[in-house]
Amino acid sequence: MILLYDGSFEGFLSLVYEVYYEKLHVSSIVKKMPETLLFERFHEIFTDEAKARKVLEAITKHFTKEQQRTIFHTVLCDTREYEMALLEYIRIGFKNKKELRNINNTNLFYIQNLEKELLSLVHKMYGFTRFEELEDGTLYVKIETKFNIVPFLGEHFCKRLGNIPFIIHDVKRSLAFVKNDTLREIRSIASFVAPTFSNEEENFKVLWKSFFKAAAVESRYNPKLQQSWVPLLYRTYMSEFQV
Amino acid sequence: MKLTTEDKLSLLAGSAKYDVSCSSSGSENNYKTGELGCAHNSGICHSFTSDGRCVSLLKVLLTNVCIYDCAYCINRVSNDTPRTAFTPRELADLTINFYKRNYIEGLFLSSGIIKNEDHTMSLLLQTLRILRHEYRFNGYIHVKLIPGASKELIEEATLLAHRVSSNIELPSSKSLALLAPDKTKEKLLSPLKHARGISLQRSAKPISMSTQMIIGATSESDFEILKLSSALYDKALLKRVYYSAYIAVNNHKYLPVPELSKPPLLREHRLYQADWLLRFYGFSYDEILSENQNLDIQFDPKTFWALSNLHLFPIDVNHAPQEILVRIPGIGIRGALKILQARRFKKLCFEDLAQLKISLKKARYFIIAGKDFHRSSSLYTEKIKLALIHQGSNIIQPTLFDTSIYTGEL
Ligand code: SF4
Repeated sequence: MILLYDGSFEGFLSLVYEVYYEKLHVSSIVKKMPETLLFERFHEIFTDEAKARKVLEAITKHFTKEQQRTIFHTVLCDTREYEMALLEYIRIGFKNKKELRNINNTNLFYIQNLEKELLSLVHKMYGFTRFEELEDGTLYVKIETKFNIVPFLGEHFCKRLGNIPFIIHDVKRSLAFVKNDTLREIRSIASFVAPTFSNEEENFKVLWKSFFKAAAVESRYNPKLQQSWVPLLYRTYMSEFQV
Repeated sequence: MKLTTEDKLSLLAGSAKYDVSCSSSGSENNYKTGELGCAHNSGICHSFTSDGRCVSLLKVLLTNVCIYDCAYCINRVSNDTPRTAFTPRELADLTINFYKRNYIEGLFLSSGIIKNEDHTMSLLLQTLRILRHEYRFNGYIHVKLIPGASKELIEEATLLAHRVSSNIELPSSKSLALLAPDKTKEKLLSPLKHARGISLQRSAKPISMSTQMIIGATSESDFEILKLSSALYDKALLKRVYYSAYIAVNNHKYLPVPELSKPPLLREHRLYQADWLLRFYGFSYDEILSENQNLDIQFDPKTFWALSNLHLFPIDVNHAPQEILVRIPGIGIRGALKILQARRFKKLCFEDLAQLKISLKKARYFIIAGKDFHRSSSLYTEKIKLALIHQGSNIIQPTLFDTSIYTGEL
């Protein structure tokens, strides 16, 4: 049967609960009701905190730290259909943990590659993220990324930026990591007012651009190679690529 | 004429750009709560310039004034170029502001020799002191040691930086005498030896050091170059040798004529590949090349080695240990690890390898996988060569500085 759930982590955990306790045979998992329902049976999962917590406890007990991380990472790949593969991952893990390393299984291989793709995106964005300084000294950055990597960036920049307050704003998901003296959390953003930048901000952008230009060696000019490293889709908020 | 910060930055970044050691990887994570900056172990690229090279550090000279006259250098005293200098404070402030905005991973600081060696080294040190002590900056700092500066100054720099280095520039003493008469190999290596001694006194792990050699300005063969690198790695003096294709910036009677010479990029690329074989694949320099030989242009060094040693092939991927697997053309360290992991569960065939995203393009000629092996070309060098060449242009014309420089997969 087709399972319908709300796309949240809690929702997915509730789904796992029902699959186990109702012994459901799942053919696919969707986040939205399909337009046309043919002859398949379909079943809606309601997010239930108690059920979710039970499953989470079972996972924490049963899986290694690394495997738990893999599960969490997979959920962050929110633009991909990971649900069936992750369900399978969890099922295999409960049955025989050793099997989880068998990459000859397509589902496990899929999860492994998904996690790699996520981590490589995270690594790229560690470098490609560009903060701008606001009037009050807060550093602010907008991102638009394929997967939900705000948790990674938040943690990374907490280590880097010392006591400087900062905001990482995920435009597509309307989320923001907010860090200041009293706060350090991910919030959803209801409304957004364009901020005012510090007086120095424009100046440093100009300096960065001229450094960037001066650092290139003309006789090795190779824009194709450049583009394979920084694909156009990353360039939206990188000032050195703006004319 | 008074130069603006922007002009200075353009000039001093422009003169530092020929130094290729940009990487900040391999440093300890050294995060302290509430302090600014930390270094990241796996190296982070913050951008890529229009020549496709990674930008991870604010790479600048403190000054492009120089009292010396090295023939290949754009800053040599006899060149008529605009000269300028940052003050240590200016440079420290720039670093902090770039770092805060996440433009960079840290600072790469080099300098022309202004007045004398000690004076120059003190200016570099002053910049480091402001960054480390005043701003409490823990981000990555790579500083060029000035050959000939006093031991105390070298010592302080070694303690404040993540990485120190000094460029060998030319692969032999003979070439140095010809093109950089003020320098000798001993003089260039001595700050490195000293820095290593000091850092070992302080901790069990030596400070990581690198050097750079210019390729193609003089007549040394690739064999000589790799032999020198190999000796530097063996003595554990250096963590990394960088190779930089000679770029003509001056006219000089002993240098290739600027109009005729293009930077030998393919040669540089092959040297990096061979260097990976030295550092990570357990090859020795005289396995890769014989006396006075140059690296093959058509084939990468591992493929070339395999073709010259066909009696060792085909290798059974289901049984070979890791150190043998990595010697198969097309299978890198990551590929070998994947094979080791996957074969615990089943006997692998070609299809399984493809499934594991291991490229069979080159490897197929050199392996047995279960019942699969490549029958159509018998193991004659010339046939395999032809087969490899006919596969497509990328064997003959590798994309220069492709990912293998960074990942080492060959
Ligand atoms: S000492 Fe350094 S900066 Fe001065 S001319 Fe020689 S290579 Fe150039």
